Order: sequence, then C-alpha cells, then structure tokens
Amino acid sequence: MASLIGSYSLSFGLFLSVFIIFFSVRNLRDTEILDKKIISFTFTQFFFVVTSFFGLIISFVNSDFSNETVFNHSHTTKPLFYKISGTWGNHEGSLLLWLLVLTLFISIFLIKSSQQPKNYRIFTLLFQQIIIIGFFIFLIKTSSPFNYIVPTPNEGLGLNPILQDPALAIHPPILYLGYVGSSIIFSSALAAMVTSHVSKEWAKHIKQWVLASWVFLTLGILLGSIWAYYELGWGGFWFWDPVENVSLMPWFALTTLLHCILVLEKKKILTSWAMILSIATFALSMSGTFLVRSGILNSVHTFANDPERGLFILIFLFTLIFLSIFIFIFFHSGKEKIESNFFWLSKETSILINNWFMMYFLSVVLIGTIYPIFLEVITANKISVGPPFYNKLILPFLIPFLIAMAIGPNLNWVKSDFKDKFYMMIFLIISFLLSALIIKQFDINFLVNTILVTSAFFLFFSTSREFFVKRFKNLSQNIAHFGFSLLILSILFNNIFSNEVITNLKIGETFKAEKFTINFENIDQEDEKNFKAIIGKFNIQYLDGSSDILNPELRIYNQPNIITSEADIKTNLFTDKFMTMNYVQNQEYFNIRYQVKPFMIWIWISVLLITFGGSLSFFNKRYEI
Amino acid sequence: MKFINIFLIVINILNFNLLMAGEIKSENEIAKNLRCLICQGQSVHDSDSEFAISLKLVIKDKIQQGMSEEEIYSFLKMKYGEWILYDPVFNQNTYFLWLLPILIFLVGGAIIIKRFYYKK
Repeated sequence: MASLIGSYSLSFGLFLSVFIIFFSVRNLRDTEILDKKIISFTFTQFFFVVTSFFGLIISFVNSDFSNETVFNHSHTTKPLFYKISGTWGNHEGSLLLWLLVLTLFISIFLIKSSQQPKNYRIFTLLFQQIIIIGFFIFLIKTSSPFNYIVPTPNEGLGLNPILQDPALAIHPPILYLGYVGSSIIFSSALAAMVTSHVSKEWAKHIKQWVLASWVFLTLGILLGSIWAYYELGWGGFWFWDPVENVSLMPWFALTTLLHCILVLEKKKILTSWAMILSIATFALSMSGTFLVRSGILNSVHTFANDPERGLFILIFLFTLIFLSIFIFIFFHSGKEKIESNFFWLSKETSILINNWFMMYFLSVVLIGTIYPIFLEVITANKISVGPPFYNKLILPFLIPFLIAMAIGPNLNWVKSDFKDKFYMMIFLIISFLLSALIIKQFDINFLVNTILVTSAFFLFFSTSREFFVKRFKNLSQNIAHFGFSLLILSILFNNIFSNEVITNLKIGETFKAEKFTINFENIDQEDEKNFKAIIGKFNIQYLDGSSDILNPELRIYNQPNIITSEADIKTNLFTDKFMTMNYVQNQEYFNIRYQVKPFMIWIWISVLLITFGGSLSFFNKRYEI
Repeated sequence: MKFINIFLIVINILNFNLLMAGEIKSENEIAKNLRCLICQGQSVHDSDSEFAISLKLVIKDKIQQGMSEEEIYSFLKMKYGEWILYDPVFNQNTYFLWLLPILIFLVGGAIIIKRFYYKK
C-alpha cells in the first residue's frame, strides 16, 4: 500500500512540473509580481515527493518485501534505526532523497528570495525544474524504488553490515544537502545571467546558499571520513579513493566560490569567474553522482552496475553543461567597471591566490581520479593513482598556500602595506625552530617535514593572534582559518607520530614491541539480534607502567552472511589507541593490528571548527572582512 | 619571474628529497604503496585479505634477499602489471597525468599576472 502511494506520488510530482513551467513562463511577461500559483504548485510538488519518500520509509519499516528495493536491502531482524536508514542506503532510495532535497531547496529558495527581482526568481525556478524533471524521469524510468516482486518473498536480502552504522546512516542525507545545495547555486547563476542580475545584491543573496551547501558538504565528508576510520579497520581517515575524491572536488569548487563571492559582494569584479565556478560546482556534484552510480568506480558506494543508468546521467549532465555554456556565452556580459582596479598587495590579490591554489588542488584531484579511467578506455592499460601521487603533487604546493593564507586576511582591500611585519617574522622564526625541534626527534626526512610543519605552525600562530587583534571582527573567517591550520597540523603530526604493530596472536600469547607489550587474554561470545559477536580481550602494558584494555570484535552477521571486524578505539585528547582483530581462515591465531594514532580527535575537532566558522557567517548577515 | 623561479627551486629541492627519503623505507612503507588487487580500494598494507597477507610475505622475503625498494616495485609490476602500483610510473602513458596539473597551475598564475600588467 505504502509503495503504491509512493509510486503514484512520484508520477503526480512529475506531472506538476508541467503546471509549474506553464505558469512560470506565462508569469514572465505578465505582471510585476510573482504568481502565487507557482509557489503553491512548487510546494505541492515538494509535498508529493515527501509522500513518496515516506512511502518508501514505511515500506522499509514494515519490511514489505513485495517492494523490490526493500527486498534487496532490508531484513526483518535489522534494528529499526537501520531499517529507516536503509531507505537511502541504496541506489533507488538515495536518488529519491536527491529529488526530495531538490524540491525542498527550490521551495525554500522561493520563500527566501522575495527581495529579488521577479524574473530572476522565475528563471531560477525554471532551471531548477529542468534538473528536477531529469531526476524524476531518471527515477521512474531506470531506478524506480517501487518495483513489485511477485510472489512476495518471506525474507529480505539484508543491508551490507558495514553500512549499518550511525555515522553512515546520516552521512548520505548531510552530504546530499551539500551536493543539492549547489544545484540552487547553479540555477540561480544561470538565471542571474539571463536576467542580467549578476550584481553585488545577487552575490549577497547567493552567498547564503553557498555557505549552507559548503557547511553541509564539509560535514558530510567529515562523517564519511569518521566512518571510514572506525569501520574499515585500517585506522586511516582518508585514502584518496576515487569515491572520496568525488566528494572533495565539489568541496574545492565551493570553497573557491565562497571566497570569490566575498569579493563579488564587495565590488562587481570577477563576475565571469563566479559564474564559471557556480556552474562547475554543480557539474562536479553531478559527475560525482555519475561516477559513483555508474559502477565505473568499484567501492562500497557502488550500489548497482547498470550501464543504462550511467548513460542517462551522462547525457543529462552533458545537456546541463551545454545549456550553461550556451547561456554563459550569449547572455553573460563579462564587462566590469573601472573599480576593478586593485594593487598587488591587497585582499583581492590574496583571494585570487586562494582561488589559484584551490583550482590547482581541484585539478590534481580531478585528473588523478578520471585519468586512469580514460587511459584504460583508450589504451587498455590499467594504472592506479593513489596516495603517493597526491602527496607528491599537493604537499609542495601546500607550503606557499598556508603562508599566503596566513598573510592574506591581514591585508586591506584595493591597496595595502605589509603591516605587522615584525610579528610575522617572529612567528616565522618561532614556527621554524619549533618544527625543527620536533622533527629532529624522528627518523624521517628532515627538510620536507620541517618546512611543511613550519608553514602550518606559521598559519596557526598568525590566526591565533588575529583572535586578539581583531576580536569579534571577522570572527567566522578567523575561526575557519584557525580550524584549517589546526587540521593541517593534526594531519601532519598524526602522520609523523603514528606507531603501528601488525602480528598474529593466539589466545594467551603476548607480543613484545619496543614501547609496549600486547597480551591476548581471552575471547567472549555474545549474541545480538542480527549478528554474533566474538569479542577479544587485550591488555596492553606500557613501559611507564600504565595499561589499557581493548576489546576489538568480530561480527558474524546473519543476513547477508558476512564477517566484519569492529575496531576498539580508546580516545583521549592526545592519542587514539586503535585495535582490530581479524579472522584468519583455518588457523588458531587471529591477525591483530594495533595502532597508536596521535591527535586523531583534533582532526575531527578542527573540521568541526571550520564548519562552525562557516555557520557563524551564515547567521551573521552583517558584512564582514 | 623572480617569484616563479624561487618557486621552481623550492619544488625541485622538495621533490629531490622525497626521492632520497626512499632508501630507508621499511616493508610497511612499501606495502602502503601497493594496491590490494582483490579488495575494494585498499592498499596491501591496510588489507587483511589472503592476497595482501601473502604479498606482505613476498615483500619481506625480497627485502631479505637484498632487493631495493625500486627493484621490488618493478618485480611486482612485471608480475601483476602497473595496476598494483599506487604511485604511477612517469612514462608516455602518464605524461599528462603528472604534468597537466602543473600546467594548469602555471596557466592560472599567468592569468593572474596578466590581469595586473593589462591594467597598466
């Protein structure tokens, strides 16, 4: 029943697009004010998509296995929470979620944009409708979440156990809020070009959307990363895996756009650049969806290997890109006023430098991600592009980037002198001495690491000082930049100080490492609703006499029948102790991996700080900087 | 120009050192640069699959035989193909992979510099 309602709601929703477009086009010429009917229809469409989405949730909650999506991704013994999150833990449901957010955002847009010109609002709605219709057709034609199975199976196939996790349950919705937020930026940029509304007012108005998308995208990536850290069992948080990169690319584009909009908001320059970025951000979000959904990349995110779906998204994506290029060429006038004059040493230049480096990082990630795909198609050579590639191309460029980031915010608009030269020099010297002292303790490449850590410390000190000098002026930017310096420092230290032991142990055995011993005391068994757990008890003795007890788990899930290993992590302010235990076939021993990961929690905290900084600026309407 | 020159020198020094650092890498470091061929986006080091476990033994063995890091990589490349190396080799297949981002960076810089000279 719920499936039926959901299915019909989708068709009604698509049908409403016809009305919305009809009334919008009519309203373009007629009156001075926006036709109320358009808003009602948009809301009704949103309502139908919500109904459809709830229809799917209810099917999942009731374990209605006559629905193919539920059958493929759920099971009666699954806890309620994961039944619900299973709704978007699959291809069909996640697309329905996309559509839900698309219609939600355009409704919010119509309410929030009442101060903007009428035709600009209508054009934004029209462009958004093109995307919405595309997704409706995609859902209904190639990936309907409401297909029937006859006869109704008694039991479902279950959800992949590694997806049964709280962080991962909310990761897709948050990430999608960011992705789909960029669709509004895209539509509104096109509309602004068509109606010649690219102005400071437009920048001020769209900045809210840029910020919101950026905050959600950052949080979404953070959640995915935290999940990878404790669930995948290797103790890392970022692997430069194509699916991770795919979410990072729109992030770079959004971050660039955010800084670019700050200039545009102040003076009408860089308009063409802002338009290109707005289009690029959404194109990257869409191509991310394409790459992940088409099955070209192999990973946990690939729910289906259906070429028809991939082809559809690809054609849709190209249509949108051609449309935007067309509008950009024929409607956008790139002419800027005389006031675009500014000098070498100014805030404008520092933002340009930010944009420059961001684009470089984006191009590294983009090329690293898609190059192997093209190479394989053209020459049949399979190559891998992994962490060493990104480290080599990104790390050297990070150094000038961090230094520019430390100096930039202290500059004035238009023209500036080096203020605070004295402090900056002192900070640079202190940073260098501090880094050299720390790095010398370790058997690693001295020069590279010292320079890297120095530049990170330099940013750290200069942003810390700004808290005192500027106080509440620029607070949001200051917090975000401070968070970024903290992030880079934590990542560097996490890399440098990490310590790891991998060994095979039987119950009762002890492993002696340089600074600690691991004692495998015993194992326990526990039965849960949808899995059996084997829990190891490990006692770790350190040289200074302290000890830790860690209990990594092996979980044997009933449906689908998969063994997963759950890490046990002891977190405190300075280090994480991370242990996993793995089953080795036909052996008495277990494979044990024990890692000491310093400053792990600071990586999460600093990303939260960055998003907090961004959110502050969202609430503070007053112009900053 | 001066800025770009300094920049190129800095990059050269850093890359040179990244190469030098290779000599003292342990087996773990080598395993981190290899793809676990049967896994979904994990390195040999991070994986606990049978393939990864046996490959770790192979690496250990080769180190004991006195092979250098580069020799081990090329040995594995012969056996499993370039797919196993996370650090793509610089050859005619990968010129664009390595150089295109740098080229984009230089073009970006040129555009910014042009903005200023154009004005005057």
